[in-house]
Amino acid sequence: MAQFKQWALEYVLSDDEPAQLEITKKAAKEIEGSRASSTVVGNWAASVQQWMTPANADDDQMEDGDESGSGDIIARAKVLRLIGFFGAMFSYDHKAGITASAKALRQLYAMKAFKPDMGAGILDHVCKIKEDFRLQTAVTRLEIYELFLSLIQDPAVSSELKHKYGSSCGFVIDLLQLFQSERDPRNLMIWFKIMALLLTDYDPSPEVTEEVFKVFSAYFPISLRSSATPIGISAEDLKEALRSCFSAHQRVASLAFPFLIQKLDQGDAVTVAVKLDILKTIKTCIEQYDNPQASIAPHIEKLWSSLKYEVRNGEVKETIDETLGVLRTIARRLDGTKAYKLDVSLLKAYVDLVSRDCRDDLANPTYTKQAGLLLMTVISANIRAYVLYNGDFIDTIRQNLRQPKSPSHTRDLLLLLNSLLKTRMELFRDREHGHPGDEESLRTESRTNLDTLFHDVYLPIWTDKTKEPVPEEKDVLKQVIQGLALLVSQQVLRPDGTPVLLCSDSVCSEICSLLNLTITKGLSLSSNDNEAEETGLEDEAVLALRTIVMNYTNGYTEFANRAKAEIRKRDWASASEYSLNALKDLLSRLTFIGCSEIPSNIERDTASQEHFSPLQHFITLTASLLEIFPLSSQTSSLESTRTEEGLSANAHVISSLHASVIWFRDACEAKYGKDALTSYAAGNQNWLDEFRQLPEDWLLQMARGERASDAGSASLKEDSDVYPQFLKLSLFIVRSLYRFASSSSRESWDERALVQLSQMAALVVRSLDEKLQVSCNLAHEAFTFFRGSDDPPAQQASSDLPTGLLTLGILQGLRPGALGGLYKPDGEAERFMCDTSNFGHSPLRESDIRAAIGAVLANKYKGGPSTSDPESIVMKRVLDFWGNWMKEATTSPSPTDSATFQAHNTIAMNVIAGAAARQDKHVLNLIPALHQAAASPHPNGEIVAKSLGLIVKQNDLLTADNHAVVKRFYKQWAYSHLVKPLLQDAQPGSKDSQAATRHRVAVLSVVSSCPFTVYQDDLDLLIRLLVTALNNRAGLSDEVVWSQVVSALEILVEILSNEPDALRGYLREVIGGTTKVYQECAAQQQGGGVRTTCRKLVLQVLGAIPTRFEERHLMAYSPPTQRMLAVACGDPVRRVREVARKARANWAKVV
Amino acid sequence: MERDLDNANPTILNVSQLPSRTRKGIAARHGPDSRCDSVVYPKSHWPYGSSSSSDEGDGDGEEPVDEQDIYDLISTISDPEHPHTLGQLSVVRLPDIHLSPSPAELSDRDSLVTVLVDLTPTINHCSLATVIGLAVRCRLEQTLPPNYRVDVRMKDGTHAQDDQVTKQLADKERVAAALENDTLQRMVDKMLETCA
Repeated sequence: MAQFKQWALEYVLSDDEPAQLEITKKAAKEIEGSRASSTVVGNWAASVQQWMTPANADDDQMEDGDESGSGDIIARAKVLRLIGFFGAMFSYDHKAGITASAKALRQLYAMKAFKPDMGAGILDHVCKIKEDFRLQTAVTRLEIYELFLSLIQDPAVSSELKHKYGSSCGFVIDLLQLFQSERDPRNLMIWFKIMALLLTDYDPSPEVTEEVFKVFSAYFPISLRSSATPIGISAEDLKEALRSCFSAHQRVASLAFPFLIQKLDQGDAVTVAVKLDILKTIKTCIEQYDNPQASIAPHIEKLWSSLKYEVRNGEVKETIDETLGVLRTIARRLDGTKAYKLDVSLLKAYVDLVSRDCRDDLANPTYTKQAGLLLMTVISANIRAYVLYNGDFIDTIRQNLRQPKSPSHTRDLLLLLNSLLKTRMELFRDREHGHPGDEESLRTESRTNLDTLFHDVYLPIWTDKTKEPVPEEKDVLKQVIQGLALLVSQQVLRPDGTPVLLCSDSVCSEICSLLNLTITKGLSLSSNDNEAEETGLEDEAVLALRTIVMNYTNGYTEFANRAKAEIRKRDWASASEYSLNALKDLLSRLTFIGCSEIPSNIERDTASQEHFSPLQHFITLTASLLEIFPLSSQTSSLESTRTEEGLSANAHVISSLHASVIWFRDACEAKYGKDALTSYAAGNQNWLDEFRQLPEDWLLQMARGERASDAGSASLKEDSDVYPQFLKLSLFIVRSLYRFASSSSRESWDERALVQLSQMAALVVRSLDEKLQVSCNLAHEAFTFFRGSDDPPAQQASSDLPTGLLTLGILQGLRPGALGGLYKPDGEAERFMCDTSNFGHSPLRESDIRAAIGAVLANKYKGGPSTSDPESIVMKRVLDFWGNWMKEATTSPSPTDSATFQAHNTIAMNVIAGAAARQDKHVLNLIPALHQAAASPHPNGEIVAKSLGLIVKQNDLLTADNHAVVKRFYKQWAYSHLVKPLLQDAQPGSKDSQAATRHRVAVLSVVSSCPFTVYQDDLDLLIRLLVTALNNRAGLSDEVVWSQVVSALEILVEILSNEPDALRGYLREVIGGTTKVYQECAAQQQGGGVRTTCRKLVLQVLGAIPTRFEERHLMAYSPPTQRMLAVACGDPVRRVREVARKARANWAKVV
Repeated sequence: MERDLDNANPTILNVSQLPSRTRKGIAARHGPDSRCDSVVYPKSHWPYGSSSSSDEGDGDGEEPVDEQDIYDLISTISDPEHPHTLGQLSVVRLPDIHLSPSPAELSDRDSLVTVLVDLTPTINHCSLATVIGLAVRCRLEQTLPPNYRVDVRMKDGTHAQDDQVTKQLADKERVAAALENDTLQRMVDKMLETCA
């Protein structure tokens, strides 16, 4: 060993070539001379290795040093010698030396002085290892594979090898012999790569190719045994590596396809995984081989005949999909590439082959679907294939449809036809990305087959089945409807290249009227004739019409006119519930069809071109609705409708207008993106001024096409104009309706209609940006209802409910900045916020509205310099006003009646709530007055206490959507100022028990409207109040008692779900108290909603207890509670029974 | 399953075909156009203030126990053999449930009501008829108030031994004894797992 080391050192240090040679000889002699040669060689290799192993960089340095010293030639000779040296190792069976030598050779290959011919030499040397290769360890073999891979990949070496061996590739044979029985996955990965390279780069002769193919195909299908020590290679990697051998070059095509097909045809012997592997391999080959005429075309027939059975008789979805993928790939390859089209004869032959085999299957219901799938796959692969065969395909389907075997056969055939149409649409859409020839062939496509589809296929089936269809036939009809929608959406190219609709206007119109009839039918039938519960067909028609009117825009006008006519035929003043529902459905569908999608601009093949506008359906719809409104002028008056459940026809119309705005807004968002809704620049325009110049029936004129004015069409060049224009129209509609609603003809408006109008106004107004709200002075319109100075002033009604609703609608949507003008001292806002005038017929409703307006105004208030309230006194005055009012009302010896007080009190609380959400500091000054009022022994005191919760109660008007100013922690803020000071005073046993009771009511009222986290620190004090509230009702009126109990129970439910442990010490009181509450509620026959709510909450509380506490805490209470729950299972209210059963089941587990 | 099933191929009804409580009036339609119905046709059309919340919500009106209620309680029990409910297998049928006197007509909430349920086994030699009867009985006793008497029977002529099975199910002692049996108890519990 030492000897070798010494020699190696000398060799490296020596500059003298003969001396080096001498050393080499010595070493060789030593090796040859020794008996146990492998040890010696091992020693030798180890001694050399230390000079070879350093990384490339070091080698380069060494080599560079050499070069500068003695020149290129010397270095080259040195490398050559080393190669000889290490190469010689492979002639012996020297286990220890092979790895090192292979590594050394790779290092040498990386040197600059390495020359291509040396590569050939290395291959020669290494191949001499022959049979012994298999005996090497996997790591050693890996080294050799990597050496070979780097050599074969090297372009210089490869050209040298080609030059030396030619196409006979002698070395390849050697390699194959050497490596053919490899099994290690890591090595295989490289070996497959080498073989793929040999096939692609080395141009081997057919014999050699076959040899190579034999070697790698023997591995197919490859799998990987799962091993305990992961090696970082998956079975999928191996499959892909092997697949790349198959697809390496078309020269193996003639071998690969028959081989793979033969594997596939083994039938049941092949597992799904293997089948998928085969199919994927075939697909990759088809995709990769160049020159498809020569490589793929000859095998198509065989491929088709074995693949078709995979689909026709296949059951596994994955294999069917994969097979279809292969068939589609064939069609694509035979078509050529985007840049270069192949001769059409190949594709034609293929399509003919497929259609010949499938055509007969279409007549057989068992195989219709599969045959259709096969055909569709091939036809839909590209435009040429489609154009080649669509006529035949439609013909075949048409023939079969004439003699269908069963309704499901008809359905399948229609499904195929529909998917052909869908495919056509997709191909048409993608035509611009393809070869120019594609567009040309689309232009010359024969249209006769498509043109006649409606009259020859769809219409006869429709007429045949549409009368009293059975469920199976309904499926057929659904297919027909879908087909009609697809048919109308088809476009063709005019000679000049512009796309137009395929169907003529008359056909489109006929289709529309068929579908219209389906939808309007409900209205014309009487309730006895129309018992169809299922609306699937109508829904399908609705979706189809929506698609149709997107393309054939006239269709919508036709539909709207028809619906309008149908609606007008009837008398809506005393309509039945059935008719009203039919009206609701019709209007809702009409709205959906027109406004849920923005129509597309497709020219039609007619001379009469009308102006297209993305808004035209919206205009048509809203104009029609405005035109038919009011449907009946004598709706029962405002006061009497409230008790009736039935909706009026007029309210339906307003609901639909509201819905149309919602739908169109969503459609804009879907089409133009969310940004389009926020980033439009309407600037400082005053739309209301513009409106004043326009006639009242502006929309109607536009809908009739009499007026193609600015908003109509011409100016809508950009997509970004659509949304502002839509808002403008919406505001115009709101304006018209407001003017109408505030005019003398009040009878048409019932409460629902007004609420809908108010909400619609809110939606429109809040979509406008602040600038526009200011420039249109909408805050002012909230009180004048868009009435000009020339108009008669708004009608004063007996109640201010309608005007209140209208006002609220606008105020609700305004941004705080747009309201500034209202807050002048003694201005409108202050008047509204301090309104204690008397109510009309319906104090509850009116106070609700006044309260809502008060909340909005108090919330959006902003005072200070540069506002109309420079000294910020308005809010202070408002709150002071209410403070004084309360003081007076709760101390005055002659109280106002409690209903009026309650109504006014609601307004006060809402105004405070609006200000509190903004955390207005003036609210703090008011709190002592509130506490005092609540504690007052006066009968009104308890009403104040009970309603204190309104200040923090969830209010839909105070949300970000409505541009309200809501501070994030205002509830905590309100709680700490409003409730905390009362907690101690409210405890039972405090000095003034009357005040304590009232304070308790106040605390519970506020706490029940707060989230748990707000009060969780005061649980101990609170729970004592809860228990008292459940058990003690002294000193309170009945109404307040129950509202207090509801609050207490609600808080208990919250505590139980968040921090049940806090209740552990009070279980006896809670269970006892709630049980008592239940029994009291159940005992009283009347009492309505509150009692039911109480019972439900009690059962919720009781039901939650066993799930939160261990049995040992509950054992004592189990028997009585179970008895009580058993009785509760007979509660007269069904929902309560459900909760009771759940509670009973929970307690049943406590044994 | 290792054991041969008594009836390997029962007729199964689709869940949508089972009798259910349809809302009064016309059921709400769910078409493609119904997405904004909650806004434009809200349940409570008055969205403001306190009166909207104190309005009686849907389903809070008084609705005394009726046959459909009983059906809903027991139709969801699983069959011991098949992964279907007794309702789907038509073992429990709405017309075979009788309440006497009907609670709707009673003025006093505590007066006695008898619930009579006739079961129809899927085949007339069903060995599990007793177990099914037991489960139905258990379910009703666990969920009905104490003033309800439960009577579970095999429908006449639907079972080879309908008399005997009916007698067994009517015998309180035997029912109690059966539930002492762990295996039976477990089986019944398993069947009742699917009841909400």
